[in-house]
Amino acid sequence: MRRLLSFGALVLIALVGATAPRPAVAQDATAFVRTLGTEAIQVLGPSVSPAQRLVRFRQIFQNDFDVAGIGQFVLGRYWRTATPPQQQEFLQLFQEYVVQAYASRLGQYGGEPFRVTGARPTGDETVVSSEVSRPGGSPIQIDWYLINRGGQFKITDVYVGGVSMKVTQRDEFASVIQHDGGHIDGLLTRLRQKTAAAQ
Amino acid sequence: MPFPRSNKSCCGMMLALLALAGCAAPGAGAPPQSAEAYDPYENTNREIFAFNQSVDRRVLVPVAEAYRSNVPQPVRDGVHNFLQNLDEPLIFAHDVLQAEPALAANTAGRFVVNSTLGIGGFIDVATGMGIPYHPNDLGVTLARWGFPEGAYLVIPVLGPSNMRDAIGKAGDSFGDPGNIVAGNYHVIYASVARGATQGIDERARNIETLADIERTSLDYYATIRSLYRQRRAAEIRHEESNLPNPTPIQGSDSPAPMSYTFPK
Repeated sequence: MRRLLSFGALVLIALVGATAPRPAVAQDATAFVRTLGTEAIQVLGPSVSPAQRLVRFRQIFQNDFDVAGIGQFVLGRYWRTATPPQQQEFLQLFQEYVVQAYASRLGQYGGEPFRVTGARPTGDETVVSSEVSRPGGSPIQIDWYLINRGGQFKITDVYVGGVSMKVTQRDEFASVIQHDGGHIDGLLTRLRQKTAAAQ
Repeated sequence: MPFPRSNKSCCGMMLALLALAGCAAPGAGAPPQSAEAYDPYENTNREIFAFNQSVDRRVLVPVAEAYRSNVPQPVRDGVHNFLQNLDEPLIFAHDVLQAEPALAANTAGRFVVNSTLGIGGFIDVATGMGIPYHPNDLGVTLARWGFPEGAYLVIPVLGPSNMRDAIGKAGDSFGDPGNIVAGNYHVIYASVARGATQGIDERARNIETLADIERTSLDYYATIRSLYRQRRAAEIRHEESNLPNPTPIQGSDSPAPMSYTFPK
């Protein structure tokens, strides 16, 4: 019995050792999110003009987000039915759409304290949890999903209060495509109009 | 929102609901959520959604804005805390029905502390003491008991819902201790006022957020449907409760609970 227990313990330790990222990875991941948070807060400050904010947001999104992966995910099963030129145009438009939408949506952010609370592994990704305090309300939990791409972290998704930004976007685009009879041309047209209006 | 009738009919309603729920094998856990929304009444839902948007623009937002500009923030926070505290007995009941002793203890603790030290619930002392608020309702309980989500619904004025949550909402308005007390004292308008204030408070907190989402969305209806379904799924998982995470947390803010260094 004893032996069995200690064998079990060994297996457990081996499993934990195999699945958990080395502390260094978790440290790097939290440092990455902390830096990103600080950058974003600076960009969202009241002294930054909306035009400047767009430029900085575009940089952050291109450098730190897994744009191609997110783009493929949000198009869902329609990614495979799209032609390569459509895919290329979609990725371009999607990137600009996300930058504009979130620069605007996060414009309400009043510089409340942002705190990284921990990190945990999930599959081949690392989830870094953070909290933003709200005056007169419970803090909002924000989870950052990071993938290590050749030694560089890229964000694959952001969960705000348990809601995935990637899934929300996929659901919205799917609805638009379905209403156009399963063709992505309508979505591309609308994305073109939406992004052109703000530029 | 809540329109309680007599005590008797409310008990009957709760019993009927419990009997219904009992058929669905309690303890089965939350049913897996389908990836795509089940929205067979989409056309009707979109019409009601458009109607709600016009009510929102013409009535709710102006009232919420007036509330926000005329009532100072500390008072609004007090009202918010007071309303939240009134919800705690019902939340406690659902924590118990879902066999979540840690959550139930939190809710009981919050209610006692906030009702006393927090002067009748106007100050949320408990959150400062490390007992954060978590929502809970009959919709969540039904989900935990294995009830399927059912069709997505947009309810006039109240907004996004589904079959399960609509039944839950109706049941909760009958089962709420505050509403039962109000019913017993023949002050049903107190329940109506409570519901209305809750609506205004909620709307006043989200004016800019919702306006931004609407402006930047390609399909606002689909976005709200997705947000609602995901938010409810997170509430059913009790992810919002900020309870100690069972999985090891590593980060430089908190020391790693386990060492991951193994000799090679």
